[in-house]
Amino acid sequence: MTLAVATTTSLYRRLLGLMALAMTLLGALLLLQANHSAHQGANRAYDRLLDAASRVLVEQVSWQAGQLRFDVPASALEMLAPGGDERVFYTLVDADGEPISGNVELPPLPADTSASLPGDRDDRFHATTVQWHGMILRLGARQARLAGWQRHDRFSIRVAHTMEARNALAGQLLQGSMLRLGGMALLMLALVTGAVGMALAPLRRLRQALRQRNPDDLSPIALPVPRELRELVGALNDLLARQRRLKAHQQRFIGDASHQLRTPLAGLSSRAELALRSREPEQWHSALVAMQRSATNAARLAGQLLSMSRLQSPDAPTEREAIELRALARASVRQALDRYPGSEIDLGVEACDAPVTVHGSRWQLEEALANLIDNAMHHARHRVTVRVTAQPSRLTVEDDGPGIPSEQRHEVLKPFHGARHSGSGLGLAIVAGICEAHDGQLELHDSEPPPGLSATMRLGAAAESRETAS
Amino acid sequence: MMKLPGMHSWLLLLLLLLLLAGGAQAVDSPRQPAVEPALTLAGHADGPSLVVQGVLDPDIMQTLLSAFHRRHPTMTIRYIDVSGRPNRVPDKSLQDFQPDLVLSSAMPWQYLHANNGNAMSLGAQTLPTDWPDASRWRNELVGLTAEPLVIVYRREYARRFGIPRSHTALLRQLRQHRDALQGRVVTYDPARSDTGFTYLAEDARQSPQIWSLVAALGEAHTSLTDSTSDMLEGLISGRYLIGYNLIGSYASRAARRHSELKVQRPADYALVMQRLALIPTGAPHPGNARLLLQFLTGRKGQQLIARQTPLGALHPAVATTGDMHTTAGITRFIRPGPGLLALVDPLKRRSLLARWQQAFDADSRTDSGSDPTTSEDSTAP
Repeated sequence: MTLAVATTTSLYRRLLGLMALAMTLLGALLLLQANHSAHQGANRAYDRLLDAASRVLVEQVSWQAGQLRFDVPASALEMLAPGGDERVFYTLVDADGEPISGNVELPPLPADTSASLPGDRDDRFHATTVQWHGMILRLGARQARLAGWQRHDRFSIRVAHTMEARNALAGQLLQGSMLRLGGMALLMLALVTGAVGMALAPLRRLRQALRQRNPDDLSPIALPVPRELRELVGALNDLLARQRRLKAHQQRFIGDASHQLRTPLAGLSSRAELALRSREPEQWHSALVAMQRSATNAARLAGQLLSMSRLQSPDAPTEREAIELRALARASVRQALDRYPGSEIDLGVEACDAPVTVHGSRWQLEEALANLIDNAMHHARHRVTVRVTAQPSRLTVEDDGPGIPSEQRHEVLKPFHGARHSGSGLGLAIVAGICEAHDGQLELHDSEPPPGLSATMRLGAAAESRETAS
Repeated sequence: MMKLPGMHSWLLLLLLLLLLAGGAQAVDSPRQPAVEPALTLAGHADGPSLVVQGVLDPDIMQTLLSAFHRRHPTMTIRYIDVSGRPNRVPDKSLQDFQPDLVLSSAMPWQYLHANNGNAMSLGAQTLPTDWPDASRWRNELVGLTAEPLVIVYRREYARRFGIPRSHTALLRQLRQHRDALQGRVVTYDPARSDTGFTYLAEDARQSPQIWSLVAALGEAHTSLTDSTSDMLEGLISGRYLIGYNLIGSYASRAARRHSELKVQRPADYALVMQRLALIPTGAPHPGNARLLLQFLTGRKGQQLIARQTPLGALHPAVATTGDMHTTAGITRFIRPGPGLLALVDPLKRRSLLARWQQAFDADSRTDSGSDPTTSEDSTAP
């Protein structure tokens, strides 16, 4: 029970947890994507600035009076520091990549940087992020030619700045995305909580219906349930149906049993009444003899009822052990001889030479054999034989009584059949139940030679295989 | 392709310089190279140490450092005055004193160092939170003083030609009295002085009319020097009547001592330069440099700068008492920013100098102040 509690958590919580996990994963993915696009957006915005600054710088390069002029405009450099705090670098290089001027010697763009600004047909400006002297820089390069009449040399301008403004913008963009995402997550959580609650409503209704049910009410559950619960409700209804049948069976059994007990008790009562009316001791004596027989029958019946209920009770101890059938048969015969002193019937055992061992409940097998022997002793004329055979393990009790017609043999196995009388009508039913408990079966045949009844307890393969294995 | 050997060696020099954090200094006043510290404030022998490198006059530095030394008496403070050293060539004689703090008025070069990653962070709590944005960059550069560029003239100049209240007035007076002013005007030589070059570039950013003023200066055969001290010397001696673009701090001090000198901040726009401080990446004691910066940018330090030195304070609480903010609309702070990089670009420098030379020499070819480094440009038509 405790194990079941530990593993069975709340379905509601489980659903919510799984959905929260899925949402967290999705949220993390969205955040990653948002971070990426925020940086992309910031780069796009500020690459335009690098582009513009490089354009302005390029325009200031000219060839005048036999000299290269480069009138670096302060405003272009200011433009490179949009946040005011960026470090700013620029280099003017000639066609061979040799630096001509600038505040540092910026490296060329990596060879694989071919992506120009999106939507820009001008492919002479490229920008990329590089690591340079321990700093992370956004580096842009623009190719150009000297404008003028005398010279048309190629040159390029490299501009770079540190990433503070870009990171700040990316941070702002990301913060906006995170706020939106957080709001959506809260909304989703509320919706999911409500949805899970609604989806689990049928389960709650079923629980309430079961809880409010009268303990005597074994009628089927008639509640509209979703498909997933239909199987559960079907299993519950099956269980209830079995309970109903069992209850009916038990009620019938109790009725039969009380009826059976009433007969000998009524007989006792009437005999005693008759004897009390008489004044003769002979009458008393014969009444007492009859009363003793009736009382014995009643006691036997009560004993059999007890056996029956023990057999049917699920709480009955079923300790199994190895039992040697020949010894069991001999002991039972000895006890039967004690029960029938002075009987003229010849009671004996026929057993094979090798020991026959089965795995089973000792008291049950003793009870079954005693019942069969009693039954045979009641009906036999001269002879009752208990036979033990191996493979399959069998206990057979044979008598030379009238036997049972084959069409009635099925009936006599039911409790209180009342056909073959003087017995309680329980004996064979108990034996059949014990055989079933040992995975076996009670078989009724004619004796060889007839007339007579041969009752064979065939003990099951499970009980036997245990034996052979050990 | 392009044959530009000159440009290439410029760049090489520049790159060499980047390796040496403390190399670039402005030429404020020509002095004999000083290998020994100009100033040593002794502390305990095993106490902390601080080496400051700058181009300020040692007596001004003394005022500031003594006040700081009183707070940290165990610290040994040395001040290396690199005034007058060639600013783009690494000086081997300075290797013995690796500076913890470099102070300089050569803003483009200081900015270049910081921009190229040769400066350390100034520390989280060093600057006051309300320190003006125009005087800091990236928490690596900080402007400590605000010093306007001024016109200095002798009293007789005002009597004869009127008060040069603005750039326009100065231009008019120069044109009207060209003959009387021959050789009596002085200003920076942008070719020889980085400071002068910076001022010229900033003037040119303000208005293209500056070229008219340069032409007028050329016509008056203006003398060209490479330091404010030289200009003041000539003004005091009476050799010059008027000087253009002098550093306000030095001029005010001189005017207090010599009553014949008058200081005028141009009324149309006044450039204000800052002395920028940075902690070079190789600084052996950056923590002590931060302490000094904290002191200098604090209220006490700024009051000291405003009251006991000719320098101008920047701290908002202190600076309101000065004249800086009464003329806030016309003040043009030279801010530490990427625009300054243009001023250290060798090609830009050459083209701006060529332009200057062209304007300055427009009238006559016999100018004595022309510089050999720019002579090749002057052959251009």
